[in-house]
Amino acid sequence: MAGGGEALGGGGKQRRGKGGKRKAKKRVGFRLDMTPLVDITFLLLTFFMLTTSMITPQTMEMNVPPQQEIDVPVKESELLTIIIRNDGKLFVKVTGKDEARLVRLSELRTVVVEQNIALRNRCIVSLKSDPNVAYGSVVRVLDMLNQAESAIIQGLRQNGVNERRRIFTVAPFTDKDREEVAGL
Amino acid sequence: MSKVKKKRVGFVLDMTPLVDITFLLLTFFMFTAKFKSESEENQVVIKRPKTSADTTKVPENNLALLKIGIDSASKDTAYYFSMVNEQDIIGVREKLREKGFPNVTDNQVTYVIRDTTWLETAVEAARYTNLNVKFAVDADSSVSYRWIEQAMNSMRKKLATQFYFVTDKQGG
Repeated sequence: MAGGGEALGGGGKQRRGKGGKRKAKKRVGFRLDMTPLVDITFLLLTFFMLTTSMITPQTMEMNVPPQQEIDVPVKESELLTIIIRNDGKLFVKVTGKDEARLVRLSELRTVVVEQNIALRNRCIVSLKSDPNVAYGSVVRVLDMLNQAESAIIQGLRQNGVNERRRIFTVAPFTDKDREEVAGL
Repeated sequence: MSKVKKKRVGFVLDMTPLVDITFLLLTFFMFTAKFKSESEENQVVIKRPKTSADTTKVPENNLALLKIGIDSASKDTAYYFSMVNEQDIIGVREKLREKGFPNVTDNQVTYVIRDTTWLETAVEAARYTNLNVKFAVDADSSVSYRWIEQAMNSMRKKLATQFYFVTDKQGG
């Protein structure tokens, strides 16, 4: 079969006369100018490199109790309330009966860690924020609580508690809270 | 002076490896590139708050995005609610149309919401459409907490108690 094909092909070429000269040459040392290709490729590469943003947004996971009609009673002694005043100042109220006191963000961390360890995992962190506070400063507090988590787990483990159950809730900022932190 | 610099006529450098690597990088960047397609993206710029503690990425599927941004033109805050999954987009659109959400068009993806009732309806519609839906709150860091609290309360009311706050990495 192959031989027949060759014969046919050969005949065709011969019939074409002039075309017979155009035998496929072995293209030794064949060079294609790749410069334009490389130019365009580099152009596209730089474009895509500059437009890609490698920083993808992160998330902060929140777990809050569902809103129910009936208020769930909690022990005041287990409650740790963080209050954010309208100027962004932080106040912390430990064990409910204490007065709210002004803390800095870095101090808050130690308070939260100590309280969690002291109450052996039963601490309820409640966040109350003035509605006029910028979202950014609330997130800063949440971030601080997340950062405190590793220290809490470590501290609990040293005290023989291996399981960490985190209880966090947001509570509405009442007029009573506003009055309480107004003068401090 | 013995070594006289020759003129390198006909000097040819083999560019093949260079071109290989370039193409490789090009395809990589082309495939990883993500283009912003939403139209309101230009209108509402969200400057996310920066955090350092978490490294969780935003889930790619089963996500309901609740953006809270300040309109650059009118300077008012609003919720921008949208779904990520294709079938959820359709489902939520049907549901909201059924409930009488004003001006729902056939290709609508994002719903601009300004009051709590509609927000609750949207949350409900999202949960009704996709049981595994997760909510991500993507808010500008200068938005006042009132909006976030309202959004959280609406979600808590509709039993969406686990949600995400979208943030940016500190220093990134």
